[in-house]
Amino acid sequence: MRKPEDGPKLKGTPRLSALFFAALVAAACFFSGREFRTMRAEEAIYPSPGLTVARHLSDYFPPLQGTPGDTPVYIFEGPAKGGTVLVLGGTHPNEPAGFLTAVLLAENIRIVRGKIVIVPRANASGFTHSDPQEGSPQRYDIATTSGARTFRLGARVTNPVHQWPDPTIYVNPGGQTLAGIEARNLNRAYPGRPDGNLTERVAYALMALIKAEGVELGIDLHESAPEYPVINALVFHENASDLAATAQMALQSEGLDFRLEASPPNLRGLSHREWGDAAGIMAVLLETPNASHGRLKGRPSAALVIDGRDKFYERAAKLGRLFVPFGPEGIPLKDRVARHLAGVAALLDSLRELVPGRAVDIEGAPSAAAVRASGPGAFLHPPK
Amino acid sequence: MRPIYHLIVFYLAAQTAWYLVREEKLWKQAGAAMVLVLLLLRLFLVK
Repeated sequence: MRKPEDGPKLKGTPRLSALFFAALVAAACFFSGREFRTMRAEEAIYPSPGLTVARHLSDYFPPLQGTPGDTPVYIFEGPAKGGTVLVLGGTHPNEPAGFLTAVLLAENIRIVRGKIVIVPRANASGFTHSDPQEGSPQRYDIATTSGARTFRLGARVTNPVHQWPDPTIYVNPGGQTLAGIEARNLNRAYPGRPDGNLTERVAYALMALIKAEGVELGIDLHESAPEYPVINALVFHENASDLAATAQMALQSEGLDFRLEASPPNLRGLSHREWGDAAGIMAVLLETPNASHGRLKGRPSAALVIDGRDKFYERAAKLGRLFVPFGPEGIPLKDRVARHLAGVAALLDSLRELVPGRAVDIEGAPSAAAVRASGPGAFLHPPK
Repeated sequence: MRPIYHLIVFYLAAQTAWYLVREEKLWKQAGAAMVLVLLLLRLFLVK
Protein backbone atom coordinates (compact mmCIF):
# COMPACT_ATOMS: atom_id res chain seq x y z
CA MET A 1 0.00 0.00 0.00
CA ARG A 2 1.45 3.38 -0.97
CA LYS A 3 2.17 5.75 1.89
CA PRO A 4 0.45 9.12 1.55
CA GLU A 5 3.70 10.99 2.14
CA ASP A 6 5.20 9.29 -0.95
CA GLY A 7 2.93 11.15 -3.36
CA PRO A 8 2.35 14.77 -4.20
CA LYS A 9 0.00 16.63 -1.93
CA LEU A 10 -3.34 17.72 -3.29
CA LYS A 11 -4.41 21.28 -3.13
CA GLY A 12 -7.08 21.87 -0.55
CA THR A 13 -7.77 19.44 2.26
CA PRO A 14 -7.43 15.70 1.54
CA ARG A 15 -8.98 14.89 4.92
CA LEU A 16 -12.09 16.83 3.94
CA SER A 17 -12.34 14.89 0.68
CA ALA A 18 -11.90 11.64 2.65
CA LEU A 19 -14.82 12.69 4.84
CA PHE A 20 -16.81 13.50 1.72
CA PHE A 21 -16.11 10.03 0.29
CA ALA A 22 -16.91 8.42 3.65
CA ALA A 23 -20.29 10.18 3.56
CA LEU A 24 -20.81 8.91 0.01
CA VAL A 25 -19.96 5.39 1.18
CA ALA A 26 -22.51 5.66 4.00
CA ALA A 27 -25.20 6.94 1.62
CA ALA A 28 -24.49 4.23 -0.97
CA CYS A 29 -24.57 1.54 1.72
CA PHE A 30 -27.82 2.89 3.13
CA PHE A 31 -29.76 3.10 -0.14
CA SER A 32 -28.43 -0.04 -1.81
CA GLY A 33 -28.65 -1.95 1.48
CA ARG A 34 -32.29 -0.92 1.91
CA GLU A 35 -33.05 -2.11 -1.63
CA PHE A 36 -31.15 -5.35 -1.04
CA ARG A 37 -33.01 -6.12 2.17
CA THR A 38 -36.38 -5.89 0.42
CA MET A 39 -35.42 -9.05 -1.48
CA ARG A 40 -35.84 -10.92 1.78
CA ALA A 41 -39.33 -9.58 2.41
CA GLU A 42 -42.03 -12.11 1.62
CA GLU A 43 -44.94 -10.63 -0.34
CA ALA A 44 -48.35 -11.17 1.23
CA ILE A 45 -50.63 -13.94 0.01
CA TYR A 46 -54.33 -13.51 0.84
CA PRO A 47 -55.90 -16.98 1.19
CA SER A 48 -59.54 -17.34 0.22
CA PRO A 49 -62.26 -17.64 2.90
CA GLY A 50 -62.22 -21.36 2.12
CA LEU A 51 -58.94 -21.71 4.01
CA THR A 52 -59.18 -24.26 6.82
CA VAL A 53 -55.82 -23.74 8.46
CA ALA A 54 -52.56 -21.94 7.69
CA ARG A 55 -49.45 -23.70 8.87
CA HIS A 56 -45.73 -23.60 8.31
CA LEU A 57 -43.50 -26.29 6.90
CA SER A 58 -41.67 -26.36 10.22
CA ASP A 59 -44.87 -27.72 11.82
CA TYR A 60 -44.02 -30.99 10.05
CA PHE A 61 -40.29 -30.83 10.79
CA PRO A 62 -39.60 -28.53 13.79
CA PRO A 63 -35.83 -28.13 13.18
CA LEU A 64 -36.77 -26.02 10.14
CA GLN A 65 -38.36 -23.36 12.36
CA GLY A 66 -36.59 -20.02 12.22
CA THR A 67 -34.52 -21.01 9.18
CA PRO A 68 -34.80 -19.45 5.70
CA GLY A 69 -36.29 -22.75 4.52
CA ASP A 70 -39.49 -22.40 6.52
CA THR A 71 -42.50 -21.45 4.40
CA PRO A 72 -46.30 -21.09 4.69
CA VAL A 73 -48.57 -24.06 4.02
CA TYR A 74 -52.24 -23.42 3.24
CA ILE A 75 -54.71 -26.24 3.88
CA PHE A 76 -58.21 -26.19 2.38
CA GLU A 77 -60.57 -28.92 3.54
CA GLY A 78 -64.13 -29.53 2.42
CA PRO A 79 -67.16 -30.72 4.39
CA ALA A 80 -67.27 -34.05 2.53
CA LYS A 81 -64.58 -36.71 2.82
CA GLY A 82 -62.38 -37.30 -0.20
CA GLY A 83 -58.76 -37.49 -1.25
CA THR A 84 -55.85 -35.19 -0.47
CA VAL A 85 -53.88 -33.31 -3.12
CA LEU A 86 -50.66 -31.34 -2.70
CA VAL A 87 -49.98 -28.40 -5.04
CA LEU A 88 -46.41 -27.17 -4.90
CA GLY A 89 -45.29 -23.87 -6.43
CA GLY A 90 -41.94 -22.12 -6.19
CA THR A 91 -39.72 -25.19 -6.18
CA HIS A 92 -37.68 -23.12 -8.63
CA PRO A 93 -38.41 -19.45 -7.81
CA ASN A 94 -37.27 -18.30 -11.27
CA GLU A 95 -40.29 -20.10 -12.76
CA PRO A 96 -43.06 -17.63 -11.96
CA ALA A 97 -46.00 -19.46 -13.56
CA GLY A 98 -45.75 -22.29 -11.02
CA PHE A 99 -45.63 -19.92 -8.06
CA LEU A 100 -48.41 -17.71 -9.41
CA THR A 101 -50.70 -20.67 -10.13
CA ALA A 102 -50.31 -21.82 -6.53
CA VAL A 103 -51.09 -18.27 -5.32
CA LEU A 104 -54.16 -18.05 -7.59
CA LEU A 105 -55.49 -21.33 -6.22
CA ALA A 106 -54.82 -20.31 -2.61
CA GLU A 107 -56.60 -16.97 -3.09
CA ASN A 108 -59.70 -18.35 -4.84
CA ILE A 109 -60.65 -21.93 -4.05
CA ARG A 110 -63.29 -23.43 -1.81
CA ILE A 111 -63.35 -27.16 -1.25
CA VAL A 112 -66.52 -29.18 -1.62
CA ARG A 113 -64.92 -32.57 -1.06
CA GLY A 114 -61.50 -33.70 0.07
CA LYS A 115 -58.47 -31.61 0.93
CA ILE A 116 -55.93 -29.50 -0.95
CA VAL A 117 -52.58 -28.52 0.56
CA ILE A 118 -50.89 -25.59 -1.19
CA VAL A 119 -47.25 -24.56 -0.72
CA PRO A 120 -46.66 -21.52 -2.98
CA ARG A 121 -42.99 -20.98 -2.04
CA ALA A 122 -41.54 -24.46 -1.71
CA ASN A 123 -37.98 -23.15 -1.76
CA ALA A 124 -38.46 -19.95 0.24
CA SER A 125 -34.72 -19.27 0.35
CA GLY A 126 -34.55 -19.24 -3.45
CA PHE A 127 -36.93 -16.26 -3.48
CA THR A 128 -34.44 -14.12 -1.53
CA HIS A 129 -31.84 -13.78 -4.29
CA SER A 130 -31.50 -13.72 -8.06
CA ASP A 131 -29.66 -16.04 -10.42
CA PRO A 132 -26.07 -14.76 -10.63
CA GLN A 133 -24.72 -13.33 -13.90
CA GLU A 134 -28.16 -13.33 -15.50
CA GLY A 135 -29.19 -9.70 -15.02
CA SER A 136 -32.65 -10.96 -14.09
CA PRO A 137 -35.20 -8.44 -12.87
CA GLN A 138 -35.72 -8.57 -9.12
CA ARG A 139 -39.48 -8.22 -9.37
CA TYR A 140 -42.45 -8.22 -11.70
CA ASP A 141 -45.84 -6.56 -11.31
CA ILE A 142 -49.26 -8.08 -11.92
CA ALA A 143 -52.10 -5.59 -12.30
CA THR A 144 -55.14 -6.54 -10.23
CA THR A 145 -58.60 -5.00 -10.19
CA SER A 146 -57.33 -2.38 -7.75
CA GLY A 147 -53.61 -1.75 -7.92
CA ALA A 148 -50.64 -3.90 -8.83
CA ARG A 149 -49.23 -6.81 -6.85
CA THR A 150 -45.45 -7.08 -6.93
CA PHE A 151 -43.75 -10.44 -6.74
CA ARG A 152 -40.13 -11.45 -6.44
CA LEU A 153 -38.47 -13.28 -9.27
CA GLY A 154 -36.12 -15.55 -7.38
CA ALA A 155 -33.37 -17.94 -8.38
CA ARG A 156 -33.49 -21.59 -9.36
CA VAL A 157 -31.64 -22.72 -6.26
CA THR A 158 -31.31 -21.96 -2.54
CA ASN A 159 -29.55 -18.69 -1.62
CA PRO A 160 -25.81 -19.38 -1.13
CA VAL A 161 -25.95 -17.05 1.87
CA HIS A 162 -28.19 -19.65 3.50
CA GLN A 163 -26.31 -22.72 2.28
CA TRP A 164 -22.62 -22.43 1.57
CA PRO A 165 -20.22 -23.65 0.24
CA ASP A 166 -21.30 -25.95 -2.60
CA PRO A 167 -19.46 -29.26 -2.76
CA THR A 168 -17.41 -30.03 -5.86
CA ILE A 169 -19.57 -33.07 -6.51
CA TYR A 170 -22.99 -33.48 -4.92
CA VAL A 171 -24.35 -36.93 -4.09
CA ASN A 172 -28.03 -36.44 -3.39
CA PRO A 173 -30.15 -38.45 -0.92
CA GLY A 174 -31.16 -40.77 -3.76
CA GLY A 175 -27.51 -41.56 -4.47
CA GLN A 176 -27.32 -39.60 -7.76
CA THR A 177 -24.01 -37.85 -8.48
CA LEU A 178 -24.54 -34.28 -9.63
CA ALA A 179 -22.69 -30.99 -10.14
CA GLY A 180 -21.97 -29.11 -6.89
CA ILE A 181 -24.55 -26.35 -7.46
CA GLU A 182 -27.32 -28.97 -7.50
CA ALA A 183 -26.82 -29.30 -3.74
CA ARG A 184 -29.04 -26.20 -3.59
CA ASN A 185 -31.68 -27.48 -6.03
CA LEU A 186 -34.81 -28.56 -4.15
CA ASN A 187 -35.90 -30.73 -7.05
CA ARG A 188 -32.77 -32.85 -6.74
CA ALA A 189 -32.90 -33.17 -2.95
CA TYR A 190 -35.84 -35.55 -2.35
CA PRO A 191 -36.55 -37.44 -0.20
CA GLY A 192 -34.28 -35.17 1.82
CA ARG A 193 -32.14 -35.74 4.89
CA PRO A 194 -33.14 -34.67 8.43
CA ASP A 195 -29.53 -33.74 9.18
CA GLY A 196 -28.56 -32.63 5.69
CA ASN A 197 -28.04 -29.20 4.18
CA LEU A 198 -30.88 -26.63 4.21
CA THR A 199 -32.28 -27.74 0.84
CA GLU A 200 -32.28 -31.39 1.91
CA ARG A 201 -34.02 -30.46 5.17
CA VAL A 202 -36.71 -28.59 3.22
CA ALA A 203 -37.17 -31.67 1.01
CA TYR A 204 -37.35 -33.84 4.13
CA ALA A 205 -39.99 -31.52 5.63
CA LEU A 206 -42.07 -31.70 2.45
CA MET A 207 -41.92 -35.50 2.60
CA ALA A 208 -43.02 -35.30 6.25
CA LEU A 209 -45.92 -33.04 5.16
CA ILE A 210 -46.95 -35.55 2.47
CA LYS A 211 -47.05 -38.34 5.04
CA ALA A 212 -48.69 -36.32 7.83
CA GLU A 213 -51.47 -34.90 5.65
CA GLY A 214 -52.08 -38.22 3.88
CA VAL A 215 -51.39 -36.77 0.44
CA GLU A 216 -52.42 -39.10 -2.37
CA LEU A 217 -51.67 -36.94 -5.40
CA GLY A 218 -48.77 -34.47 -5.54
CA ILE A 219 -48.54 -31.83 -8.28
CA ASP A 220 -45.25 -29.94 -8.65
CA LEU A 221 -45.56 -26.83 -10.86
CA HIS A 222 -42.55 -25.86 -12.97
CA GLU A 223 -41.43 -24.03 -16.08
CA SER A 224 -38.65 -24.85 -18.50
CA ALA A 225 -36.71 -23.09 -21.24
CA PRO A 226 -38.23 -23.36 -24.74
CA GLU A 227 -35.12 -25.18 -25.99
CA TYR A 228 -35.48 -27.86 -23.29
CA PRO A 229 -37.14 -31.07 -24.54
CA VAL A 230 -39.24 -31.73 -21.42
CA ILE A 231 -41.72 -28.92 -21.98
CA ASN A 232 -45.49 -28.49 -22.15
CA ALA A 233 -45.39 -31.79 -20.37
CA LEU A 234 -46.89 -33.94 -17.66
CA VAL A 235 -44.01 -35.84 -16.08
CA PHE A 236 -45.46 -38.70 -14.08
CA HIS A 237 -44.36 -41.41 -11.68
CA GLU A 238 -45.57 -44.88 -12.68
CA ASN A 239 -48.00 -44.70 -9.72
CA ALA A 240 -49.77 -41.93 -11.64
CA SER A 241 -49.54 -43.27 -15.20
CA ASP A 242 -53.30 -43.85 -15.64
CA LEU A 243 -54.10 -40.53 -14.00
CA ALA A 244 -51.64 -38.59 -16.17
CA ALA A 245 -52.74 -40.33 -19.38
CA THR A 246 -56.41 -39.59 -18.66
CA ALA A 247 -55.60 -35.97 -17.85
CA GLN A 248 -53.51 -35.62 -21.01
CA MET A 249 -56.35 -36.88 -23.19
CA ALA A 250 -58.71 -34.37 -21.58
CA LEU A 251 -56.20 -31.55 -22.09
CA GLN A 252 -55.58 -32.51 -25.72
CA SER A 253 -59.33 -32.53 -26.32
CA GLU A 254 -59.40 -28.94 -25.02
CA GLY A 255 -56.75 -28.01 -27.57
CA LEU A 256 -53.89 -27.84 -25.07
CA ASP A 257 -50.87 -29.72 -26.32
CA PHE A 258 -49.36 -31.62 -23.36
CA ARG A 259 -46.77 -34.37 -23.70
CA LEU A 260 -46.58 -37.36 -21.43
CA GLU A 261 -43.12 -37.99 -19.99
CA ALA A 262 -42.51 -41.01 -17.77
CA SER A 263 -40.28 -40.27 -14.78
CA PRO A 264 -37.02 -42.19 -15.40
CA PRO A 265 -36.50 -44.66 -12.51
CA ASN A 266 -32.75 -43.97 -12.41
CA LEU A 267 -33.08 -40.18 -12.20
CA ARG A 268 -33.03 -39.72 -8.45
CA GLY A 269 -33.94 -36.84 -6.21
CA LEU A 270 -36.76 -35.33 -8.26
CA SER A 271 -40.28 -34.84 -6.93
CA HIS A 272 -41.95 -37.00 -9.58
CA ARG A 273 -39.59 -39.87 -8.71
CA GLU A 274 -39.09 -39.70 -4.94
CA TRP A 275 -42.63 -38.68 -3.93
CA GLY A 276 -43.81 -41.85 -5.64
CA ASP A 277 -40.98 -44.11 -4.46
CA ALA A 278 -40.57 -42.86 -0.89
CA ALA A 279 -44.17 -41.92 -0.04
CA GLY A 280 -46.08 -44.11 -2.50
CA ILE A 281 -48.22 -41.26 -3.80
CA MET A 282 -49.25 -40.39 -7.35
CA ALA A 283 -46.69 -37.78 -8.38
CA VAL A 284 -46.95 -35.47 -11.39
CA LEU A 285 -44.80 -32.53 -12.46
CA LEU A 286 -46.11 -29.93 -14.92
CA GLU A 287 -43.86 -27.91 -17.23
CA THR A 288 -44.69 -24.77 -19.21
CA PRO A 289 -42.35 -22.85 -21.56
CA ASN A 290 -40.69 -19.78 -20.04
CA ALA A 291 -38.44 -17.67 -22.25
CA SER A 292 -37.21 -15.56 -19.32
CA HIS A 293 -35.00 -18.31 -17.94
CA GLY A 294 -33.85 -19.87 -21.19
CA ARG A 295 -30.29 -19.64 -22.51
CA LEU A 296 -31.21 -18.10 -25.87
CA LYS A 297 -33.08 -15.06 -24.55
CA GLY A 298 -32.16 -11.46 -25.21
CA ARG A 299 -32.18 -8.81 -22.51
CA PRO A 300 -33.83 -10.11 -19.31
CA SER A 301 -36.62 -7.87 -18.05
CA ALA A 302 -39.89 -7.92 -16.17
CA ALA A 303 -41.62 -7.46 -19.55
CA LEU A 304 -40.03 -10.70 -20.77
CA VAL A 305 -41.35 -12.49 -17.67
CA ILE A 306 -44.88 -11.15 -18.19
CA ASP A 307 -45.20 -10.92 -22.00
CA GLY A 308 -42.85 -13.75 -22.89
CA ARG A 309 -41.86 -12.08 -26.17
CA ASP A 310 -38.28 -12.45 -27.36
CA LYS A 311 -36.94 -11.97 -30.89
CA PHE A 312 -34.06 -14.38 -30.34
CA TYR A 313 -36.44 -17.18 -29.38
CA GLU A 314 -38.56 -16.24 -32.36
CA ARG A 315 -35.52 -16.72 -34.58
CA ALA A 316 -34.55 -19.96 -32.84
CA ALA A 317 -38.07 -21.27 -33.52
CA LYS A 318 -37.70 -20.44 -37.22
CA LEU A 319 -34.42 -22.38 -37.21
CA GLY A 320 -36.18 -25.37 -35.65
CA ARG A 321 -34.18 -25.21 -32.42
CA LEU A 322 -37.10 -25.16 -29.98
CA PHE A 323 -39.47 -27.78 -28.67
CA VAL A 324 -42.49 -25.44 -28.66
CA PRO A 325 -43.91 -23.03 -31.23
CA PHE A 326 -42.66 -19.49 -30.55
CA GLY A 327 -44.08 -16.64 -32.62
CA PRO A 328 -44.03 -12.84 -32.36
CA GLU A 329 -46.78 -13.02 -29.72
CA GLY A 330 -44.40 -14.95 -27.42
CA ILE A 331 -45.65 -17.16 -24.60
CA PRO A 332 -47.06 -14.77 -21.99
CA LEU A 333 -47.31 -15.51 -18.29
CA LYS A 334 -51.11 -15.56 -18.46
CA ASP A 335 -50.99 -18.44 -20.98
CA ARG A 336 -48.47 -20.33 -18.87
CA VAL A 337 -50.55 -19.91 -15.70
CA ALA A 338 -53.65 -20.93 -17.69
CA ARG A 339 -51.88 -24.12 -18.80
CA HIS A 340 -50.99 -24.96 -15.21
CA LEU A 341 -54.54 -24.32 -14.04
CA ALA A 342 -55.88 -26.49 -16.86
CA GLY A 343 -53.37 -29.19 -15.88
CA VAL A 344 -54.39 -29.13 -12.22
CA ALA A 345 -58.09 -29.19 -13.15
CA ALA A 346 -57.58 -32.11 -15.55
CA LEU A 347 -55.67 -34.07 -12.91
CA LEU A 348 -58.45 -33.49 -10.35
CA ASP A 349 -61.05 -34.60 -12.94
CA SER A 350 -59.01 -37.72 -13.66
CA LEU A 351 -58.71 -38.49 -9.96
CA ARG A 352 -62.50 -38.25 -9.65
CA GLU A 353 -62.94 -40.53 -12.64
CA LEU A 354 -60.37 -43.17 -11.67
CA VAL A 355 -60.69 -43.19 -7.88
CA PRO A 356 -64.17 -41.79 -7.14
CA GLY A 357 -63.87 -42.36 -3.41
CA ARG A 358 -60.73 -40.19 -3.23
CA ALA A 359 -62.00 -37.35 -5.40
CA VAL A 360 -61.21 -33.73 -4.55
CA ASP A 361 -63.87 -31.27 -5.72
CA ILE A 362 -63.13 -27.57 -5.69
CA GLU A 363 -65.04 -24.42 -6.54
CA GLY A 364 -63.87 -20.93 -7.34
CA ALA A 365 -60.64 -21.82 -9.12
CA PRO A 366 -60.14 -19.51 -12.10
CA SER A 367 -60.61 -21.35 -15.36
CA ALA A 368 -57.79 -21.52 -17.87
CA ALA A 369 -59.91 -19.69 -20.46
CA ALA A 370 -60.71 -16.86 -18.02
CA VAL A 371 -57.06 -16.41 -17.05
CA ARG A 372 -56.02 -16.45 -20.69
CA ALA A 373 -58.66 -13.80 -21.45
CA SER A 374 -58.30 -11.51 -18.42
CA GLY A 375 -54.84 -12.32 -17.06
CA PRO A 376 -54.02 -13.71 -13.61
CA GLY A 377 -54.38 -10.28 -12.01
CA ALA A 378 -58.15 -10.40 -12.46
CA PHE A 379 -58.21 -13.25 -9.92
CA LEU A 380 -55.63 -11.99 -7.47
CA HIS A 381 -56.62 -10.25 -4.27
CA PRO A 382 -55.88 -6.51 -4.62
CA PRO A 383 -52.90 -5.35 -2.55
CA LYS A 384 -53.68 -4.16 0.99
CA MET B 1 -17.07 -20.56 10.08
CA ARG B 2 -19.34 -17.52 9.93
CA PRO B 3 -17.58 -15.42 12.63
CA ILE B 4 -14.24 -16.09 10.92
CA TYR B 5 -15.71 -15.01 7.59
CA HIS B 6 -17.08 -11.83 9.17
CA LEU B 7 -13.74 -11.13 10.85
CA ILE B 8 -11.93 -11.41 7.51
CA VAL B 9 -14.38 -9.02 5.83
CA PHE B 10 -14.21 -6.66 8.82
CA TYR B 11 -10.40 -6.65 8.62
CA LEU B 12 -10.46 -5.83 4.90
CA ALA B 13 -13.10 -3.12 5.44
CA ALA B 14 -11.09 -1.57 8.29
CA GLN B 15 -7.90 -1.59 6.19
CA THR B 16 -9.71 0.04 3.29
CA ALA B 17 -11.30 2.67 5.54
CA TRP B 18 -7.89 3.42 7.05
CA TYR B 19 -6.42 3.73 3.55
CA LEU B 20 -9.25 6.11 2.60
CA VAL B 21 -8.56 8.52 5.47
CA ARG B 22 -4.75 8.46 4.92
CA GLU B 23 -4.70 8.69 1.14
CA GLU B 24 -4.19 12.15 -0.34
CA LYS B 25 -4.94 11.55 -4.01
CA LEU B 26 -8.54 12.21 -4.79
CA TRP B 27 -9.00 9.47 -7.36
CA LYS B 28 -7.43 6.90 -5.01
CA GLN B 29 -9.79 7.99 -2.26
CA ALA B 30 -12.67 7.47 -4.72
CA GLY B 31 -11.37 3.99 -5.56
CA ALA B 32 -11.10 3.08 -1.89
CA ALA B 33 -14.62 4.39 -1.29
CA MET B 34 -16.04 2.18 -4.03
CA VAL B 35 -14.32 -0.92 -2.61
CA LEU B 36 -15.44 0.04 0.89
CA VAL B 37 -19.10 0.10 -0.19
CA LEU B 38 -18.86 -3.52 -1.36
CA LEU B 39 -17.08 -4.66 1.79
CA LEU B 40 -19.52 -2.92 4.14
CA LEU B 41 -22.54 -4.29 2.28
CA ARG B 42 -21.00 -7.75 2.56
CA LEU B 43 -20.24 -7.22 6.24
CA PHE B 44 -23.69 -6.02 7.32
CA LEU B 45 -26.11 -7.65 4.89
CA VAL B 46 -24.84 -11.20 4.63
CA LYS B 47 -26.22 -13.10 7.58
